[in-house]
Formats: sequence, C-alpha cells, structure tokens
Amino acid sequence: MVDELLFFMEVLVGGLLAGTMYSLVALGFVLIFKASATFNFSQGAMVFFSVLAFCGFMQDFNIPFVLAFILAALLMVVVGLCTERLVLRPLMNASEDTVLMATIGLGYVLEGLAQAAWGVEVRRLDLGIGDFPVPWIADNLKLFISALDITAGLVAAIMIIGLFLLFKYTKIGLGLRAVADDAGAASSIGIPLKHIMLLVWSAAGVVALVAGCMWGARAGVQFALVDLALKALPVLIIGGFSSIPGAIIGGLIIGAVEKVLEVYIGPFFGGAIEGWAPYVLAIFFLLYRPEGLFGEKIIRRV
Amino acid sequence: MSNNSANILDIKNIEVRYDNVILALHDVSLKVPKGKVVALLGANGAGKSTTLKAVSTMLASERGKVTNGSIEYDGNAIDKQTPSQMVGLGMVQVLEGRRCFGHLTVEENIISGAYSRKLSKGDINQELEKIYTYFIRLKERRKSQAAFTSGGEQQMIAVARAMMAKPKMLLLDEPTMGLAPQLVAEIFNIVKELNTKEGVSILLAEQNTNVALKNSDYGYIIETGRVMLDGTAESLLNDDKVKELYLGISKKGRKNFRDVLYEENLNKKSN
Repeated sequence: MVDELLFFMEVLVGGLLAGTMYSLVALGFVLIFKASATFNFSQGAMVFFSVLAFCGFMQDFNIPFVLAFILAALLMVVVGLCTERLVLRPLMNASEDTVLMATIGLGYVLEGLAQAAWGVEVRRLDLGIGDFPVPWIADNLKLFISALDITAGLVAAIMIIGLFLLFKYTKIGLGLRAVADDAGAASSIGIPLKHIMLLVWSAAGVVALVAGCMWGARAGVQFALVDLALKALPVLIIGGFSSIPGAIIGGLIIGAVEKVLEVYIGPFFGGAIEGWAPYVLAIFFLLYRPEGLFGEKIIRRV
Repeated sequence: MSNNSANILDIKNIEVRYDNVILALHDVSLKVPKGKVVALLGANGAGKSTTLKAVSTMLASERGKVTNGSIEYDGNAIDKQTPSQMVGLGMVQVLEGRRCFGHLTVEENIISGAYSRKLSKGDINQELEKIYTYFIRLKERRKSQAAFTSGGEQQMIAVARAMMAKPKMLLLDEPTMGLAPQLVAEIFNIVKELNTKEGVSILLAEQNTNVALKNSDYGYIIETGRVMLDGTAESLLNDDKVKELYLGISKKGRKNFRDVLYEENLNKKSN
C-alpha cells in the first residue's frame, strides 16, 4: 500500500515537474497574446531557432556556456527587433487574423534559417544536469525524480517571478498591460505600440531559449521541438491565453494529468494516451470554462 | 515651433475617406483659438469623431485617410505623425466611449497617461496629486479596478489620464455620452476648470448641443461631413435654425440643415 502511494507520488511529482517545461513554452505564447491578441504560431520555431543557435555557438565555435547563452539571448532580441520592424509594423493596422497568418510564415522562415545556418542533424545539449533521479531524494524520500525536472521547475519559478515584477512594477510593464487591455486607447495617450511589441517579442524569444534548453537537454536539439510547442495549446486553453500564472498552472495540470492517466488508465487503451489526453481535457475546458482558469474575463458592467 | 497665430488648431477644407472609398468628411474647416473651448456639434454619423481622429492621427488605425485639405497644429502641418508623436507634441484625444484600461486600477490608468513623458516616480506622484484636485472622486477610488467604476467615473479617468500627458490641447469625443444630467454638469465643470486653470485648448465633439454650447466659446455644426453653420456659442444658442434642429424647439417638421437650405432656395426662386 505504501509502495503504491509512493509510486503515485512519484508519477505525480514527475508529471508536475515535467509540466513546468510545458509552462515555459506556454509562457512565450502568453507574452505575445497579451500584447497583440494573436496566437503566435512561430513560438515553436523560436524555441528551435534559439536553442539550435545556442548549441551552434557552443559546439561549432567553442564559445563557453554562459557566453553562448548570452549570445543566443541577444540573437533572440535581434529576432524580436526584426519581427517588429519587418512583420508587425507593416501590419500595424491589419486584422488579427492577418497577423496570425504572418506568424505562421515567420515560423517557416525561422525554421529554414536555423537549419541553413546550423545544419539538420540532431544535436546533443549537455547542461551539466543529468536526466536521472536525484540520489538524495531517492534515498531519503524514496521518490525517483529527475534532476532535470527539478531544474526546470526552479527555472520556471524564477522566470515567472521575474516577469511578474517586470509587468507589475515597471513603466514598460504598465504600458504592456495597458496595450493588452485596449491598444487603441493606449496609443491615444502616447504609449508607442512598437516599443511594447519589441519588448514582448524579445521576452518571448528569451523564454523560448530557456524552454528550448530544457527540452533540448531531454530530447536532443532537433526539429521535433517545433511540434512540441503545440503541447502549449491545451496548456493555454486550460490556463487562459492571457494569464502568466495560468500558463504555469496549466502546464502543471497538463503535466500531472497526462502522466497519471498514462500510468493508470493508459493500459486500458493500449498505452500512449499522454499524446492526446491533454487535448481531451482542453475540450472540456472549452465547453465549460472557455476563458481558462485564469484568463481575463471580459468584465462588463450591467 | 514658434506659433504666433492665434489659433492652436487650423483645419482647412479636409476631406476624409475610409478604405479609400467611403467618404466620411466632404469639406470641414474649423479653427480652435488658443486657450478656448470649441464645440463640434452634430448627429450620429455627421463626422464629429472622424474630424477629431483626423487631428489626432488616429484615423490610420481605422484605415481612414485625409485625402484633401490640410491640418495645422501649433503652426506645423500634421500629416505623417503617429498618435504617440502627437501626444508628444501636446495633443491628446479622449476617445469616444471612455476606453479605460479595465483590468488596471484607477490610479494605474491615470499614471499610464504620463507614459510619453520622462518623469521620476516623485514627479509622477506630484502630478497625480494635482490631477486629483480636479477629480476628487477618483482619489477615493484610486485602488479600484477601472472596469468596476461607474460611467461617470470612467469618463473622469479618461480625461484625467489624458491630462497626465500634459496636453496643450485636448480632443474630447462625446464626454457626456450616456451620463445622467448631474454628471454631465460635473464633467463640464471639470472641463471648464482644466481650460481656465491649466490653459488647455479644447475641441469637443458633442450631441448634447445645449450643454456643450453653454460651456464653449465657439461652435461648429456639421452634418453629413460638412460644416453647416458656425459662430460664437452665444449666437448659435440664439439661432432660430439651431433652436429648431438641435435644441428641439421646433415649429415646423424640418429635420436637418439640408431641408432648411432646400426650403430657403425654393423661397429665393419663387421670389
């Protein structure tokens, strides 16, 4: 009985921590959705692009780890800059659907550029953190939990606190929240939309890099990372597209639910249900709570 | 940037189209003298909002364009500026329908108006206190989420937010829309106060002809994208046609200026 409970705990904690990796990917989507009310289809490509560049800097140019990370982060800021200048500004007054389509195109461009620059083979990314159970926790708590999962959890926590502080207490954060509420009114009082766009796309780029590092360390840096970002979709539906805490909690829920279902219900379906179980959960949310757990409700006075 | 003319805003014969096709303004000319309040009056769809947006350059975001004529603000032509540049030059529009940032607090809403100015935290607080002297009601509600405040309070937030940008000129688009008479008076009192104490020139679009004219120096009446009549506020208030068409003191069944002009033409011909 105790063994079963421990096993359940292990599955749950493992799922929760793996979920933080979904949260990291979802975070990038939320940032852009807040500012431009657009689902950024290129987020997956940004993850792939950024982490491949990071690997390329380290492995092809022998640049040390920290410097390579900083370079990759700067590269993502440049990508944000170019996106604002070349894609978003010309589409400034276009409909949201047009911008949505543009992000799909941007995704292809980034995927192509990344592979043209760094090649197509799968790269190994060694963060110096093993993807195996931490001995101390295994010995004392009898839980087998991966060090990489724990790191991902910590990193997600740090990023969330950082972004929260940025939005709540800085001027540009206030500007972003104003734009998220009413872009027209924000521009009428002189909040320059292009600064806000630049901020969110750069921030989303850096978040993509961090998410890419975590996933790359687990699954290898490869093209499949692009599709992995789609897992963020159920996360966002559950958490709410415009909420940063929502992205985190949504990720945790998806992570935990898919692992628990896989282990306990999976065998009845012949296994591998973690691929689609999150989407089933997302459908229930769409039916009964379409704004998600933390999505901003449309406030209407009556 | 020296402007010696007496007008802070000078609109000359502008024509505005949306989507390159829909003609919203045919021919509008108007002047706002420095430090004065000018009312732009007319019914729904007459072109009041379009005129204001042409001035604040907010037209572009609605795919509208000034296709003819010119607008001069503070001695300089307006054409290529963005709305945020206009705010930098001291021209701020308060959009129709208040448009507060619903999820932000009242105070955050007001502070957001200072975004374009480089102010320290201390300066912002000082400005905020000054603004609160005009909008006493808002100070009590500073921590509430803006979406949950009343319509009148939201209008005050919108004006207070615009004032934080330290404008030389305010464009107010239907500030009293949907407000109870008592609140209408309160809003206009504040507007007058801002005009006299802060020296802000004001161009306001209104449907509430009577109250607007009583609080303005000069008025323009537009209909289907054309200026039909203009004059000092006093002369408009006493004008028979204005009384009949806009103040509801009617003898005949005429509905707009086109009918009036048509009848006058008929009379001329028959004479």
